[in-house]
Amino acid sequence: MKKRSLLVITISISVLIVATLLFPAGCAPKPAAPTETTAAETTATTETTAAEETKPGKPFEGITLKAAFIGGANYEEMYKAIPKFEEETGAKVEIVFKGDGFQIDKKLKTDFAAGTVDYDVCWDHSSFYTQYIKADGIIPLDDYFTKEELADHIPMILNAGMKDGHLWIIPRHFDISALHYRTDILNDTEMQKKFKDQTGKDLKVPETWDEFKETAIALQKLLPAGVYATEFAGKEEALTGRFYEVLLAEGGQYFDENWKPAFNSEAGVKAATMFRDLYKAGAMPPGMTGFVWEDVAKNWVAGNIAMYTEWYGWYSYFQDPSASKVAGKFDIARQPVGDGGIHSGWAGDHAFSITKASKNPEAAAAFIKFLTNEEQQYNESKLGFLVTRQSVWEKIIEEAKATGNPLDVKRLEFAQLQASEDFKTPPLVAEWLPSSDILYPILQAIILGDKDPKAGLDEAAAKVEQLMKDAGYYK
Amino acid sequence: MTTEKTIKSKEIVKLARVSRERRGRATAENRHLPIVLLIPAIIILAFVVGFPMLYSLYLSFTNFTLLSHASIKFVGLQNYVTVFKDPIFLGSLGRTILYITIAVNLEFILGLLIANAMSHIIRGQSILRTVMMMPMMFAPILVGFQFKWIFNDQVGLINNILYEIFGRPIIIPWLIERPLGFISILIAEIWMSTPFMVIVFLAGIMSISPEILEAAEVDGANEWQKFRHVTVPSIIPFIYIAMAVRSLDIAKAYDLVSIMTGGGPAHRTELIWTYVYRLAFTSQKFALGSAMSYVTVVIAFAFTFYFFRQLIKARQIRRV
Amino acid sequence: MKRGKHIPSRIVTFIVLAIFFIPVLWLILTSLRPNIEINTRPPVWISKNINVDSYLALLGFGVNPERFAFGENIPFGSYFRNSLITATVSTLLALVIGTLAGYAFSSFKFKGRNGIFLSLMLARAIPGIALSLPLLVLFTRMGLSDKVYGLVIAYTAMNVPFTAWLMAGFIGEIPEELNDAALIDGCSKWSAFLKVDLPLIGPGLAASGIFAFLTSWNEFAIASVITRTIASKTFPPGLFDFTAEFVSDWRGMCAMSVLMLVPAIIFVIIVQRQLVKGLTLGALKG
Repeated sequence: MKKRSLLVITISISVLIVATLLFPAGCAPKPAAPTETTAAETTATTETTAAEETKPGKPFEGITLKAAFIGGANYEEMYKAIPKFEEETGAKVEIVFKGDGFQIDKKLKTDFAAGTVDYDVCWDHSSFYTQYIKADGIIPLDDYFTKEELADHIPMILNAGMKDGHLWIIPRHFDISALHYRTDILNDTEMQKKFKDQTGKDLKVPETWDEFKETAIALQKLLPAGVYATEFAGKEEALTGRFYEVLLAEGGQYFDENWKPAFNSEAGVKAATMFRDLYKAGAMPPGMTGFVWEDVAKNWVAGNIAMYTEWYGWYSYFQDPSASKVAGKFDIARQPVGDGGIHSGWAGDHAFSITKASKNPEAAAAFIKFLTNEEQQYNESKLGFLVTRQSVWEKIIEEAKATGNPLDVKRLEFAQLQASEDFKTPPLVAEWLPSSDILYPILQAIILGDKDPKAGLDEAAAKVEQLMKDAGYYK
Repeated sequence: MTTEKTIKSKEIVKLARVSRERRGRATAENRHLPIVLLIPAIIILAFVVGFPMLYSLYLSFTNFTLLSHASIKFVGLQNYVTVFKDPIFLGSLGRTILYITIAVNLEFILGLLIANAMSHIIRGQSILRTVMMMPMMFAPILVGFQFKWIFNDQVGLINNILYEIFGRPIIIPWLIERPLGFISILIAEIWMSTPFMVIVFLAGIMSISPEILEAAEVDGANEWQKFRHVTVPSIIPFIYIAMAVRSLDIAKAYDLVSIMTGGGPAHRTELIWTYVYRLAFTSQKFALGSAMSYVTVVIAFAFTFYFFRQLIKARQIRRV
Repeated sequence: MKRGKHIPSRIVTFIVLAIFFIPVLWLILTSLRPNIEINTRPPVWISKNINVDSYLALLGFGVNPERFAFGENIPFGSYFRNSLITATVSTLLALVIGTLAGYAFSSFKFKGRNGIFLSLMLARAIPGIALSLPLLVLFTRMGLSDKVYGLVIAYTAMNVPFTAWLMAGFIGEIPEELNDAALIDGCSKWSAFLKVDLPLIGPGLAASGIFAFLTSWNEFAIASVITRTIASKTFPPGLFDFTAEFVSDWRGMCAMSVLMLVPAIIFVIIVQRQLVKGLTLGALKG
């Protein structure tokens, strides 16, 4: 009996030892699983030189490209055209992952860190890509795209994808925010009269943030219960971004030239105070600090908001009478100016990148070129996306003139204007999101009245400074 | 007559309390049997929990972030120092402990009362049990979505009901204001987990032999006394199991709160794991997150230890 | 003995059940009505547009007419298959391993018993998200990532501690005298086990089984990290397919949630019968 139990114990211990040897807890994970390709053809086709050889037959025959893309209704329409690429080039495309923006960001970060990347092409975004550079997950694209190929994209947007002199992302479509306002409230003669009586001023679309604040607070008193003058997204990166917008408009900066946090300047305090005062006056829905994009849009289409800044991308949803109570009842304007004298516009573009783990970067580049060519961009623009090719813009503005709805044309022209003048991305550093995580709860506390604006922003600045220090920004 | 029955019932009670440990202790031949029986459990847990936790422990002594994984540096106890100095962490810790305490106690009381009430209903009991268990069948993230909608200030169920009653929009920000946010996540948690208590207690109550209850009745006990002096003591092991398990489970609470409030606004409903998750994944401070996880696990361990001791004590008391 | 009508019990029970049932009811209702009626004020209590489009789309029978409906793009069949396999297999494994462990804890006194027991409980104190990244690294090295059996292993480990604990409780409650009585009556050790012990721990098995199944069926944190493609993705991460950064398809999500609930309910009903049988058999006959 003793012998048997001894045997059992020995076996268990050996299993444990073997297991420990196989998985040394101390190693940093190395990049693993390469892109799967069909056996022999891989070596043959990938050994082509950088310049694509156009063989008679199909250039990428036998190659399988895997992709991790953003998913969700409208984003996925374009993926339906992928078979055409497969037809033309002989490559096979497999989308191994589809998720919303935050899901795919998390996945990319996790995969880059754990070395579990098994895709060639991935979604990217101007606000996120710097993280992936830091994680050494994507490669520069300068060698795969010529200047001519890139010339059609709106320059300001293309430049947002450049860092350290290299291009990292190819834009797909962008979004920027404009001031949306209800014509049946702001242009309503009854309302205008009441407003004049109450404040002595005319009710008009605000052109500065000071006017915005005054108008909202005064307007709120005239609105029925459950309807609010304005709203903002109130949590996570969304809140930081909206704050950033106003901060810039008021002449402030997020980081200064030495990467020290600068949002606790006068401009920053003014911006934060505006949010707080609007909330305090009841001019924003009380649940605001729980809102992200869907929630603000839902309130808008339910008819509960008078004016607010919102992404262009929502347009078709807003104008759909079966889904929106404000279809046909709103107009857009450029974002208000602040003390800084500029119209702000927090913007970002969705894009594509090639992963470092890819074994077929040429094929991946060709795939990206397909996805961002004129035809695909034109189709996407039909869904309401703001695409980045200038040639497509000309086309769709012409077509919009034919619909008979002036707002269709106006919005496109505004969008184009904003893209070329107001397009402001958040600071292009990987620390944007971590700094946002520090800042937004404090902004929330300021809005809710828990913290004083100056004190709160100072606190946030101190923590962000520590964050940047740990990240090695101050040599 | 009465005395005979009482003696008989007392003997039965004694019998019921004798555990099998007496038999198990003696023989030499099955001295190693228990270890053999435990090996599968030990192996699988070492694999799925042990190794990852060892790796995580290692990471907690470094400056690993998801993005700089190529250049790890050993930093000793620095992360732990940061953890203990972090007011947000300490706040979440306190909040989590409060959350667990209130939730477990309320679930216990409600569970006991409901289980007792249900045990009296014979006909249709299995349907009742199935309905009762429905909240348990929901994925916690789904419960999060449900209650996020229920407590939504603009279009949520509760505010809409109030709207119907009062005829005008009543906007109560359930997920925002100070006590309301905490209460909302408590309600969601209690809704989701009381059925667990009910089922465990019901099983316990149903396994009390009727003779004991009869004996008590014969002795002149009424409903409440039967409940207090027979039912509850008989299911004490079940109670401890249920409460210990629930405490640990709530301590793990993440899915529910993350969906409902994300720990906000401004950390008002921040529990430990929502904070750790955000720190580790969104802020990418994975090493710090690991250190925080360890501190939390150690504290959870202390709670477990406490409940375990209570369980042993209860068992010893009952071993007549 | 007369249990009587116990009116207060009935009232309490029905009120309580109503409260617990309302969200379920809402889930079903939401899955049947168009998105515009779902999150509105004034609320739409009685929908005039009840239809089962979202179900049809999910099950592959129809195309969702609404713009922001995602139903037909969701690989429902794969999710169902993966969830079913993972949950049932991990439950069975956990029951076997856990019962063995529970038997060991309750019936034997041995050195290190308390220590091992405590470690098992400690293992349960660790949430999925704390494990997720290290586990991903480990599984990837072993080739277990994005595989159903990888998930099965993870879930079995998650369920063993609780099963062991519960079974230790149930087994410990069985008096050996009953077993001895059966032996005296002429049964062999094995048939005594089958006839006396097994029915008595039936409720324990049923309870552990229910909890293990539901835990695995509804688990999200680990699944969301380990699974990537439809080869192994289960329902909970699949729910997020319905949420997009901008507009979510709540109706579709509710439809899939209802469909998710169905197997869980069926399983619970089946196992519940065992629970009752075990309990009635388990009454101590004097």
